[in-house]
Amino acid sequence: MINLAGRDILYGWGKFVFTGLGLGLLVGLTLSMAGIYRGLVDDGKVLLENVGADLWVVQRDTLGPYAEPSNVRDDAYRTLLGVRGVAEAGNVTYLTMQIRHEGSDVRVMLVGFEPGHPGEPGYLVAGRPITRSHYEAIADVKTGLRLDDRIRIRRHEYTVVGLTRRMVSSGGDPMVFVPLQDAQEVQFLKDNDALVNERARTAANPAFNRPGVPGLLEAVQASQASSRTVNVVMLRLAPNADEIVVAREIRRWKHLEAYTRNDMDEILVAKLIATSAKQIFMFLVILAVVSAAIVAFIIYTMTLNKVREIAVLKLIGARNRTIAGMILQQALGLGAIAFVVGKTAATLWAPIFPKYVLLLPGDAVLGAVLVLVICAFASIVAIRAALRVDPATAIGG
Amino acid sequence: MVHPAIEISGLTKRYGVGDAAVDALKGVDMIVRPGEVVGLIGPSGSGKSTLLKCLGAVIEPTSGRMSLAGETIYDNGWKVADLRALRRDRIGFVFQAPYLIPFLDVTDNVALLPMLAGMSNGKARDRARQMLAALDVGHRAQAQVPQLSGGEQQRVAIARALVNQPPIILADEPTAPLDSERALTVIRILNEMAQRFGTAIIVVTHDEKIIPTFRRIYHIRDGRTYEQAGEARAA
Ligand SMILES: Nc1ncnc2c1ncn2[C@@H]1O[C@H](COP(=O)(O)OP(=O)(O)O)[C@@H](O)[C@H]1O
Ligand SMILES: [Mg+2]
Repeated sequence: MINLAGRDILYGWGKFVFTGLGLGLLVGLTLSMAGIYRGLVDDGKVLLENVGADLWVVQRDTLGPYAEPSNVRDDAYRTLLGVRGVAEAGNVTYLTMQIRHEGSDVRVMLVGFEPGHPGEPGYLVAGRPITRSHYEAIADVKTGLRLDDRIRIRRHEYTVVGLTRRMVSSGGDPMVFVPLQDAQEVQFLKDNDALVNERARTAANPAFNRPGVPGLLEAVQASQASSRTVNVVMLRLAPNADEIVVAREIRRWKHLEAYTRNDMDEILVAKLIATSAKQIFMFLVILAVVSAAIVAFIIYTMTLNKVREIAVLKLIGARNRTIAGMILQQALGLGAIAFVVGKTAATLWAPIFPKYVLLLPGDAVLGAVLVLVICAFASIVAIRAALRVDPATAIGG
Repeated sequence: MVHPAIEISGLTKRYGVGDAAVDALKGVDMIVRPGEVVGLIGPSGSGKSTLLKCLGAVIEPTSGRMSLAGETIYDNGWKVADLRALRRDRIGFVFQAPYLIPFLDVTDNVALLPMLAGMSNGKARDRARQMLAALDVGHRAQAQVPQLSGGEQQRVAIARALVNQPPIILADEPTAPLDSERALTVIRILNEMAQRFGTAIIVVTHDEKIIPTFRRIYHIRDGRTYEQAGEARAA
């Protein structure tokens, strides 16, 4: 027996290929959507992995530092180092801001960290780690910065000495790492006018400016000017320490929240990108429905155009199964073309997406199965129409 | 004794029910012997197509009897279980238009029938090529359907009707779209085939050019048949 579906496809291949192309772009979009979701999850994973921390210590009752703001005093790390099982501690700050580079604004997440401590970017694709305690920066390649570029952050100029890859915030902003003190200055220190203003206000307050207590005013002013916080203290644990036990200790005694790597995974994936994931899922559903409608319509019109041939086939003794099989195979063929086009398109355009698009082979397989299932369902209408064709119409009046 | 290829008696067909009912056939009697080509002639709406559809097991008659080669296929109800196989193996159809399948080449259009009956592709194509050669279109075996002229398409359609060597062929106005020369060629071919394979052929027509070629003619008027010896015998 010859393959009727295949012959018909070859005969009308132009229409078939163009429909397949159009559908393929939809499939490509669908795969990219899934890829964006996977990318979000993976970005989170890479971020957590790269800082090399076992515990994230943040402000109590917050989901900080990525999902909610969190402030921890920058001397808290000293007492944390006293907790059993804690080997290293590093203060880290996060601040989303615009920096100017070669006349254009780049939106980045500015990260303050202590070189040599947890929170330092683990893997550089170029350059070297920060060695000076001021005015050096490590930038993610997504910022468009290159080694030795000079960038202006607020009042100071920084030199890019190293480059990272895949270090982006959950919002997709590439990261720029600078020494902690520089970052704190950017984030927490008040500008000169504010400082002068505040000194004047404190001096005018009789509670702080008591003639009978010399030195009090100066002490208050110094504490106000230098009261510093960070967003998170990252801890590295001793090799045999149990992170869950240490986290519990910290929660109980230090009035701070401590998250393990698993907790942070959970916060990033389940809470922070949950909305994006839902949105992407909605798109997937809509795209699936649109694709199904297109396949159904195309296969249905193609079948209606063949009513005469179908009547002849039935008259000369073709089984219903043969005719249904022909239509089903055409729908599946369309799906196969669409999937190949879609997968190719998604792979080709993935790098030009601003966000990281991670195309997993498993998702592609699932996509292929889904496309074929959708096509099979979409052909039902056409098959029913074909089975209703009366062989008597071939003979005519 | 040799059974007639087709024997019809008292066949009726009513379309619809109640006030809308149309009695398309009111009592048809007909006998066609193997190797015989008979004409079926009647005005429009007289029931010609209805008769072919009943005989071709495409629609169900209302009452009467039909038998093929002595085997009763209808006696106030179908007597064969698989009408599809009956159509495929025992009846060839030729229509007013060739109705070839455009996405198959000429050979496969003809070979499709033996393939549907379960023959291997190679054998079926051999058989198709032989039949195409017999109809003088062997040189067009590789062509695509749209490349053929109207006359060539109709010959391919006849080859398709003949390829399973059915004992009967039903042709509904097979010459309508052809000029008189080609129309006569088609009739000559049908006659040759009838002789060669012993096929019984019924040709529905109101084509004045070909009416004189029949040895026997059935007139159908208002759902009833009347037999008449054709001019060909008289001549
Ligand atoms: N499917 C149908 N339903 C109702 N009436 C029909 C149907 N087919 C044919 N008829 C009627 O049956 C009569 C015979 O039709 P038909 O066999 O097509 O005639 P012919 O082929 O001789 O022109 C006509 O009156 C026609 O209107
Ligand atoms: Mg008719």
